[in-house]
Amino acid sequence: MANLSLKHIYKVYPNGVKAVSDFNMEIADKEFIVFVGPSGCGKSTTLRMIAGLEDITAGELTIGDTVVNDVEPKDRDIAMVFQNYALYPHMTVFENIAFGLRLRKLPKEEINRKVLEAAEILGITEYLGRKPKEMSGGQRQRVSLGRAIVREPKVMLLDEPLSNLDAKLRTAMRSEISKLHQRLNTTFIYVTHDQIEAMTMGTRIVVMKDGFVQQIDTPRNLYHYPGNKFVAGFIGTPQMNFFDGTLKKCGDRVEIAFTGTDACVTVPYSYFYKTRPGYLDGKTPVIIGLRAEDLSLDPEVIASSDAVVKVKVSHKEELGNETLVYGDINMEGDGFTESGTRVIIKSYADVAYQAGDIVDAALNLEHVHLFDGETEVSILPRIPDNNDVDCEIADGKLLFLGRELTLPPAVHAENGSGELLIPTDAVSLGGDIPALCVDVENVSGKTLAAFEVGGRRLYALLDVEKGAQVKLSLDMKKITVLRGGEEIVRPLPTVSALDGMLKKEKTVREVEIDGKKKRKKEIVFNLEIGGAKFASPDLITNKLISALSVHRAFTAPLRFECSPYDIAFTQEGIPAIVEEVLDYGTERFARCRVGERDVIVFADIPVEGEVHLSPDFDKCSVFESELDIRIV
Amino acid sequence: MKRLRSKKAVERGTNAAIYVILTVISIIWLFPFVYLLMQSFRGEPGQATAYFFPKQWTFDNYIHLFTGEGISYKDGLVKATEVKFPLWYGRTLLIALVVTVIQTLIVLVTSYALSRLRFKMRKPLMNLMLILGMFPGFMSMTALYFLLKLLGLTQDMSTVGLILVYVGSSCMGYYICKGFFDTIPKSLDEAARIDGANRQQVFFKVILPLSKPIIIYTILNAFMAPWGDYMFASLIAFGNSNYWNVAVGMREMIQPAALSTYADSFQRFCAAAVIVSIPITVLFFLLQRYYVEGITGGSVKG
Repeated sequence: MANLSLKHIYKVYPNGVKAVSDFNMEIADKEFIVFVGPSGCGKSTTLRMIAGLEDITAGELTIGDTVVNDVEPKDRDIAMVFQNYALYPHMTVFENIAFGLRLRKLPKEEINRKVLEAAEILGITEYLGRKPKEMSGGQRQRVSLGRAIVREPKVMLLDEPLSNLDAKLRTAMRSEISKLHQRLNTTFIYVTHDQIEAMTMGTRIVVMKDGFVQQIDTPRNLYHYPGNKFVAGFIGTPQMNFFDGTLKKCGDRVEIAFTGTDACVTVPYSYFYKTRPGYLDGKTPVIIGLRAEDLSLDPEVIASSDAVVKVKVSHKEELGNETLVYGDINMEGDGFTESGTRVIIKSYADVAYQAGDIVDAALNLEHVHLFDGETEVSILPRIPDNNDVDCEIADGKLLFLGRELTLPPAVHAENGSGELLIPTDAVSLGGDIPALCVDVENVSGKTLAAFEVGGRRLYALLDVEKGAQVKLSLDMKKITVLRGGEEIVRPLPTVSALDGMLKKEKTVREVEIDGKKKRKKEIVFNLEIGGAKFASPDLITNKLISALSVHRAFTAPLRFECSPYDIAFTQEGIPAIVEEVLDYGTERFARCRVGERDVIVFADIPVEGEVHLSPDFDKCSVFESELDIRIV
Repeated sequence: MKRLRSKKAVERGTNAAIYVILTVISIIWLFPFVYLLMQSFRGEPGQATAYFFPKQWTFDNYIHLFTGEGISYKDGLVKATEVKFPLWYGRTLLIALVVTVIQTLIVLVTSYALSRLRFKMRKPLMNLMLILGMFPGFMSMTALYFLLKLLGLTQDMSTVGLILVYVGSSCMGYYICKGFFDTIPKSLDEAARIDGANRQQVFFKVILPLSKPIIIYTILNAFMAPWGDYMFASLIAFGNSNYWNVAVGMREMIQPAALSTYADSFQRFCAAAVIVSIPITVLFFLLQRYYVEGITGGSVKG
């Protein structure tokens, strides 16, 4: 039993194909994690990296307290169940299960006891003398499970174990694996492309696409709060309906207009508190998502609903207990092809509609999901990135929500109005903006508080109680002001990038051996950044060489990302020119020019003109620039 | 109504035609072997006969091979010659067995490595080996002879020299074996590695037990080459008949000098050929059942 930690895990094949990009996850002991996604999304590759069957290009994998990147599979204390069972065909079931124990040279009696125990749990005791070829698919997969559980591993890895079984057996085995997880009380990581398996078995699900993690959450949260259109479409059967449309704020209501049809409904503005006002202009394209069960053909529901649209029925799928009615909200649409107007409605079993019928459907907009038309990211996030409010800049003052704040010298812009973006993590307690906490929400372990300020809602990641009257302050380093779509005030970058390379140098050093001076040749590794040379820390050198191969490590362009606090002004180092000193009142930073790049450095001393910079390599992140792989 | 031809009748007709053709081909193919066998039992003196079955049956040709006797042309009496055949036979068997063991091992491990491990230059190496294997072996004969001579591995040390020559190029024959290993699912290796096996244990405990057909094929192949080799053996042992192998020795039996001295030289040659075929036949019959045995059934989902 153990927890797992995957930090910035990458898998890049020698031909440059990135199978997994920046996979980050903490898996607690005894969790049942499911990796789900379409073929080629990198879920199996990630599992195989955990198993040790694939090398990890970059990142750190920890099982328990041990970093296991370079540990052999047999020493990781894991067991794996394969999709194709991978049983040893020349061995009996008993020998198959006992193989791992025999290799570990356990006493014969103990092996017998353990194998019999595992066989009993899985109900395969009577087949112990058989060879795999004499067994059915389901029985073989049980043997495969037995082989895994008999070793009592810290982590059980299952790579699509049910994919080769028929539908009925799959359902039965699903329950058995869940039962096994409860019984063994160990960490399970399960890979599947079947979202039903994921939803029914996982305590948390990792949805992946094209090597990137899309969302990690509980099955319930994934269903109700999908982070993007892909997750919304992948989770749930039948697939969520997606309509193209626009949103327009009209007083305390928002009008949802469906593109390609005249359909238009309105919902209370309260649904959109977390949405950036920019989306509510009636022009910005959005994607409206509604699950099939959130549309109703029930006349009673339609009669009491104020959000009704016309649907032209194209066909239906009768499932016995319910019927899926397919249609189109565009009267010209065919209802078969996936389009921005196609609709699927989950209805009661005995609907009498025929193809071509035009019916009314009520939309339950309480459960509406909205996504950006371009990025497809949810515009109703559980934790919004930013609060978006109107503001005015006048003579070094920022006016917003009826308040006036004096801007620090670093934040300057021409007088005029604009749009102020306040990140939820830029709001803190202890300022002079009075606010009333009207709502508190716990989202994935974080407390999101909603405050009433000047007649508007302001969200902040603050631990306060509902109803509390507090005073808030803003971190001016994090705010953005937009005017006509352009950023006139930019937040202070949290990291600055420097370009460089790893170089190998042969040097001759004089050493004294037995009282005689001798010349000793040695190889030193340097990081060359902006014309300056720094001795490369062993950690960086080793990680670069292991991730990129010896040749690539010395030829690949590198990018060093450092926070302003991790770069210091020194006598020697990277030559830079101070272009601007950013004074935020309590802190000062210098914007320095290094080649083509702007580098922000915390300036606790007065600086100007030509300076030299030295990054603290222990705190910097190192990326391979071409493929954008985070190595350290 | 049009009457359709019976499917079974058509099948019967086709099969009959196929069997007739196959029988004719078999007879043509078997003819030289049966002729050789008949000649080895021929009692009447003289060289190859134009008739098939001997007029006088005898087993003496086999006995003479081992006693070192031959029937003189001059007086028709049995005269003693040097006893060399058992020596050649024993030496060839020794060389073939040693080569079989070493070559089988080398071919198997090379093929497994090329099938499972991914390393730089793997494909160029495989192509190079394949291309080199396409050149006839005799191209390197002179060079090899001088190399072995420098090392003192000709003449009296020719047994070692020949073993080196045969074993030296063993891994060139990786191709078929690698093809077989490629068909064994990699997930078996992976399952074993997770179960706690190292590469060596995976190979010996999981892969080899599943590879009987290809091991047998490799053994037979490895045995046949040195067992029937004439060219290298004749060159490396050179003129000294004490160090010949069975093929070189037999060639000597049908040289004009031998044929004109002994009236049963050709018959003894035929008897020797029959004896030479015995180990291969025995080996094949012992191992042939593994050829057809499907061993990987049930391992993975098909």
